[in-house]
Parts: sequence; C-alpha cells; structure tokens
Amino acid sequence: MKNNQKLKGKDLINIGIYAAIYCVLMTCISMLGYIPIMMPMLTVIVPIILGVPMMLFYTKVKKFGMITIMATIVGIYLCVTGMGFWPILFGVVFGFLADLIAKSGSYASGKKSILSYGTFCVLLFGNYLPLYIDREGYFSTRQSFGAEYINTLGNIMQPWTAPVLIIAAFVCGMLGALLGKALLKKHFVKAGIV
Amino acid sequence: MIEIKKVSFQHENAEKPSLKNVSLTIAEGECVLLCGESGSGKTTVTRLINGLIPHFYEGKMEGCAMVNGLNVTEAELYDTARIVGSVFQNPRSQFFCVDTTSELAFGCENMGMLEDEILSRVDEAARELNIEKLLGRSIFELSGGEKQKISCASVSALRPEVMVLDEPTSNLDVHAIEELKQTLLGWKAEGKTIVIAEHRLSWLRDLCDRVICMKDGQVAFDLSMQAFAQYSTEQLHQMGLRSLRDEKIAPVQNSVPETETMQLQNFCFSYDGTPVLNIPHLSLPLDGIIALVGPNGAGKSTFSRCLCGLEKKFKGQVKINGQLWKNKQLLKNCYMVMQDVNHQLFCETVADEVQLGMRSENSSDVERVLEMLDLSHLRERHPMSLSGGQKQRVAIASAILAGKEILIFDEPTSGLDFRHMEQTAALLSSLKGNQTVLIVTHDPELIQRCCDHIVCIENGTVI
Amino acid sequence: MARGILQASIQNRGLVLDPRTKLVMLFDIALFVLGSAGGGSVEPLVPILCAMPAVLMLSAKKWKGAATYLLVYLLSWLTYTQLVPLTKGAVNFILLGCSGMLSRFLPGIAMGGYLVSTTTVSEFTAVMLRLHLSEKIIIPLSVMFRFFPTVMDEAASINAAMRMRGIYMGGKNVGKMLEYRLVPLMTCCVKIGEELSAAALTRGLGGEAKRTNICKIGFHIQDYLLFVVCLIPYAVWIMGRVL
Repeated sequence: MKNNQKLKGKDLINIGIYAAIYCVLMTCISMLGYIPIMMPMLTVIVPIILGVPMMLFYTKVKKFGMITIMATIVGIYLCVTGMGFWPILFGVVFGFLADLIAKSGSYASGKKSILSYGTFCVLLFGNYLPLYIDREGYFSTRQSFGAEYINTLGNIMQPWTAPVLIIAAFVCGMLGALLGKALLKKHFVKAGIV
Repeated sequence: MIEIKKVSFQHENAEKPSLKNVSLTIAEGECVLLCGESGSGKTTVTRLINGLIPHFYEGKMEGCAMVNGLNVTEAELYDTARIVGSVFQNPRSQFFCVDTTSELAFGCENMGMLEDEILSRVDEAARELNIEKLLGRSIFELSGGEKQKISCASVSALRPEVMVLDEPTSNLDVHAIEELKQTLLGWKAEGKTIVIAEHRLSWLRDLCDRVICMKDGQVAFDLSMQAFAQYSTEQLHQMGLRSLRDEKIAPVQNSVPETETMQLQNFCFSYDGTPVLNIPHLSLPLDGIIALVGPNGAGKSTFSRCLCGLEKKFKGQVKINGQLWKNKQLLKNCYMVMQDVNHQLFCETVADEVQLGMRSENSSDVERVLEMLDLSHLRERHPMSLSGGQKQRVAIASAILAGKEILIFDEPTSGLDFRHMEQTAALLSSLKGNQTVLIVTHDPELIQRCCDHIVCIENGTVI
Repeated sequence: MARGILQASIQNRGLVLDPRTKLVMLFDIALFVLGSAGGGSVEPLVPILCAMPAVLMLSAKKWKGAATYLLVYLLSWLTYTQLVPLTKGAVNFILLGCSGMLSRFLPGIAMGGYLVSTTTVSEFTAVMLRLHLSEKIIIPLSVMFRFFPTVMDEAASINAAMRMRGIYMGGKNVGKMLEYRLVPLMTCCVKIGEELSAAALTRGLGGEAKRTNICKIGFHIQDYLLFVVCLIPYAVWIMGRVL
C-alpha cells in the first residue's frame, strides 16, 4: 500500500511475534545443549530448524531495520537468559549485515534472503565467544592442574574450531532457509498464510 | 456521529468484494446491532469504523468513513484510537500485557498521558466495570469472561466516544454474557455510541435500538429494534439469523437406559494440588449425543482432556461393553475435535490427512467416509485452505478412520451463524448410532437441535 | 521453562530487587565467570559469584530452583576438579568438556533463570525505558515476552492433538515430525498474532506520542548491597593491574 519506509506499529509487533516463536523454539532445542558436548552442535541444529519460521518472517519484511531489530532482540534474549553480552553485539552486527543483504534484493529475492538468513545465524556464535577469547588468561589461572590437563582442554577449544563453528552456522543457516522455503511452498502458500 | 460514505472494499487476496457501495449514518448515542450471515460484511463494517480497514487489513477501497468529523480512512490508527474503542471476538488474543493493571493502562500509556492521570483513569474504569478485585493479577489466570471484561475496561480507560464490538460473546457463557450486557448498558447510559456485530441476538434485545442486517456486502434492511422484534423465529432463521428469544436449555430426557451405558469411574483430577474435577461415578448413554454444559472454568475442559487420556497423571477409568479402559486405551479410542481445528491438521492434502493414523490401509473405507462427510471433491486441497466447517469435517473424518469410538467436540459452534450452526448440528446428528458424541458447548440452539442427553458440570462435579 | 519467562506472579515473591540490579549481577557473572576476565587476581572471588544465583533464588522463595542449581553446579565442579585429573584418554576428554563447559555456563544460566522468573514484563519494559532504549526495541521485546505463553500453549495443544492421532516423536520420520509440529504451530501463532496486532493498534500503539509507563521501579537497600558485591571483582581486578 504505502511505500513508507518508516517502521510502524504493525511491523514492530510482527517482529515481536516471530522473535517469540524463534526464542521458544531455540530454548526447546537448547535443552539438548544441557548435554554440554552437544553445545557446538547447536550451531547446526538451531539454524536448520529455525529456518522455517524465519523464512515466514522474511515474507513479512519489507522495510529496512526489521531484521536488525529481530537479531538484536534474539541477542538480548540470549543475554538475559545468561549467555553473556556478546550475543547482543553479534546480533546488532550480523543482523545489520543480514538486513543489508536482504535489502540489496529489495526484500523479494529468494537467493538474497537465503544468504541473508545464513548471515543472521552467525549471531549464534556470540554464545561461544567467551570460550575463545582470553584463552591465555584462562589457562594461566589453571596451571595447577598440570600440563596434560591444559592440553586436553586446549584440544577441545582449539582456535580453529571457531571459524568452523561460524561457517557451520552460516552454511546450516542457508540449508535451513532452503528447508523453510520448501515448507513455505508446500504448506503456507497453499494455506493462504503468505 | 458515524458516517460511512459509499464504501466498497475488497480484501487483498479475496475473490469477491466484502462491501459493495455501502452508505450508513449512525447518530450520537445510538446503539446499533449489525447482523447477517458469516461473510456478509458486518465485521468489515466494524473494521471501517475503527480504521483497521484500510490501515491494517489491506485491499482495494473506495469511499471513506467519518467518525465525529475525523476521516478514519485517512487518519492514522493511533489518532482514531482516541475516539473509537474496539473489543474483539477472542479474549485470549486481544490483550497486550500480562498483568491486568498494565493492560488497563496500556491505551493511556500509548497516548503518553501523565502517570497520575493514567492511574486515576485505571481506577475509574475498574470501578465502573466492577473489576477492582481483578487488578494486579496475571491475565493468564483469568477466565474467558473476566478477560473480556478486562478488555472492555482497557478500552473504557481511553474514554472514546464510539465503541465497536466484533462478536464479543463467541467464547462466553451465559453468565459472562449477562455481565457484558451490564457493561454495555453502562456505556449506553453515558451516551456513548455503540456498534455491535454479533450472531447471538437474544442478549441484545433490550440493549440495541437499531438493527442493520447485512447480506452479500450490502445493507439488507435497517430497522428499529421494535420493528425487528416483530419477526418470528422462523422468519429470522430464513434470513440466516439466530433466534432473538432466550433459548432455555430444556432438559431433554435425562434417564439413562440401563442396557447401553458406559461407566465413568473415579474422574478426579487436580492441578498442582488444587482439585478441579471430582466425579466419582457417572453413567453416559452409549452411542448417544451428550451435551456437556456449565460455566467457564467449571472443569469441562479438564473432563474432556481426562476422557481423551491426555492427562498422564489421571487415574480414572471407563467401563464400556465389559471392557475397562484406562489412560492408554482412552487415548486410543477417544478423540477431541478442538475449538481451534488448526491445531490438529498436519498434512499436505485432505486425503493424506484422513489416512494419517489409520491402523490399516483401506481405500474403500476412506472413500466411504469422505463421501459421507461430503469431502470427496476436496481430497487434493490443503486442509489449512478450507473453510472452518470443512476443517471440522476433515478432523471428524480422520477420527472415524482412526477407529475412534468416542468423539468430543469443544465448542463446535462458537462464532457460527445460524446456517452453519444448523449444518454442524446435522453433521453431529448423523454420527449418532456409530460413535458416542460429547459436545462441550454454551449454545442452547445447538443443544436443542441435536443432543439427547445433558450433563451439567459445575465446580468440578456433575449436578 | 519458557512459560516462566517474565511471568512472575506479583504476590508472594520474597525479596524484591530492582531489575537493573539483577542485570548488573548478570553482567558480572557473564564477565567474570563465563568470560573469566581479570585472570588470577579475581579467581578467588569466582565461587562467591557462582553462589549468588542460589542466594538470590532463595531470597525469592525459589527453593526448588536453588536446590537444583546448587546440586548440578557442585556435581560438575567436583567432576571438574576431582574426577577429571584421575581419568585418561577419551573419558577424560568428554568429562572435561562436559564439566568444564557446565561450570562456566551454569551460573550465568541460573542467574538468567532467576532474572526472568522474578521480573514482570512491565518492570522489564520500565527498565528499558529508563535506559533510554528505542521504542523500536521495546515494543517488539514486550510483544515477545507477552507471546511466549501463547506459543507454549499452542505447542501444547498441537502436542495433544498429535497424541490423540497416535503420532509420536522419534521413530523413522524425524523430518515429518518436525513438519507436523512446525506447520500448525506457525499457522496458529500467525493467526493469533494478527488478532493481537489489531487489538493493540486500535488502542493506539505505535503513535507519535512518547509512551509513558506506570510501573514503579526503584532502588532499595538490598539493591545497594548487591551493587557493592558486584563492584568487588572490578576493584580487585583494577588493583591487580595497578599493583
């Protein structure tokens, strides 16, 4: 109707609703994460499953800022539930990038929205960042445990796993977006929701 | 006060226009009932007045609507909100906050009023509607009737001059409807202009002074309530309208034949230590159609959940044909058609949907049931794209094919017009003899049409 | 768990803290326990910070939560310090990974749990207003918190419907299960969301006027006390740097 670029009440409420669906699903999946070894797996599972609601969300996005706000809110949620403050920063940054990508396709291009959602998913890495930064400082306080111990711990949190997690989040995000698109076509279009 | 000038409107994805060149004038202080079949355009008229059309529900629109000199078709929604207050159908989905006090203050907060002003308005609205004891509670704990009162109060706190209600009683019991009526009488006495779109007519008899009936997007007639009251019930039914007289729930025949019954034993259940259901013993006729009535929050839904085997901690059992069913068998043999049927449709086509959960593949059975429920021509459609009644039938078909013996319907006619209500009644009657049907309902007209036994639950026990 | 998010009952919640105090505490834990900032000098204070969620939960009469947290935390901590050095190879690897991550993440998660289970949405909104966050963040956030119970309710109804149809989780068709759950969930949530938007917009949400808030928040003596506790690690950290 109106090509007003300002975000209105309706858009803001839409963001809230999809953010709620996103966070509830994420929390449910994260329950798996209480088996801590599954934790890195979350960057795989969460992006794929949440691709479905997010692709539905992307059909509602027509204005710049919606994806940035969505990502920021997911970041705030992660922070409030105890994941540290990095997710907020990651949310703002990667949400903004995702928004730019989607905007370059005027919020209508299928490929751009897949790429955009992949970028969006990188914000999940914010959860793990504390495990990687200040490794030296962290280990220096644990000298008393002995060298073998530090080696093992170092093995788990190898620095190279960081880019792997980021790439995993990005790639799985795109896979999730494809899955979401497929379901969208299969159900929601026929059902007249989109 | 309200002036609708030559409005035509077609929703974005709709095939037909919902309003065709409608003009209406409503004077200040009038209380108007909008009636008509589903899809006749009465909801569209309410949305014109509160500005949701064209600002929220988008589509092709001609003409405009004026309220108190403000062109609501042009004005922003938040400006319209100062003069038009709206109450909607579903009390569950229309509150924005999670506690009652903030909900009452919500509208005023949006207007940026000062804190003291808001507090005094909240107090006043609460006093006016007699809900002081509900303040400061979580909205999720309230019953449907209480929620509807909160939404009325929240609108009231903004002190608009026009009130628009869109099917406000769909989910309410008799008692809650009476309270809503008192609220509306209060508003009327204050001189507010009230517009109500509604299927249930009887409660509005002494309230409204003018009746506008819509048909196919146009005004069919526009009468005073006095003239409208002259119509006989049959004439109303012919126009697709519900009865204007109070339908009493007549006790149909309450003696249970000794031979064919099922025995419900130890139907007791509590949530977190608060007992909500306490029925040590109950006989129900087998293969009958049983109405389950009682006020909101009396334990009807807990009863249905227990009967379906959905409550894991439930210890009761059902004796039927010499067999004893506990939770596991109940889950296998009972099926609930929920009020929101969307919860139970999963597949891509109707044909897949009804076969999901079938114990053995049997295509002739599928054909027979689809034929019986008039679904054959829809078999390749997506279940979610069907109309409400069709969805209900798909859910019933899937239950029959899964070999369910007891079907429970949760409010199958809430928000239905006369024609659809009658269709549902006919459908339920057709199940008689094969399945035992329990209907949880507040709808006296439905009970009158198809039920042959009534169970009334109050405070968790049968009375 | 999600049902309890920001849905605190207003009656009987024990010691009430300002939400800002809780946020500061959360940041402290995120910084010093999860992020292990400050290195060796702050190290001795970490157990105190780890105990804070339990203490706060007790003050808010969350007996169960406090007990569970203490138990799980002690278990993982004991594994971390006692059991791990005794094992070798793969077992060592897994145990170390599990207990190491748990003992770092758990205090933050518990503190987050305390925060969301003892705060109401209006308090949270009031805090965000005081922090001068933009409406564009506040409105979606409050919608989100309002919508959590709805999403949970819808999911529960769908679950019940699936059980009546004899469709169970697991088995051969994980993909199908996901589809059967997600599709109705999305449909229902979108529908309710639309009704919610309509109701909110007709009461003037999103207007030009600056929103006000009637929720009263403010600092009391318990807040100041906790602030002091929160400041200690910073003090030690700075002292450690300077000396």
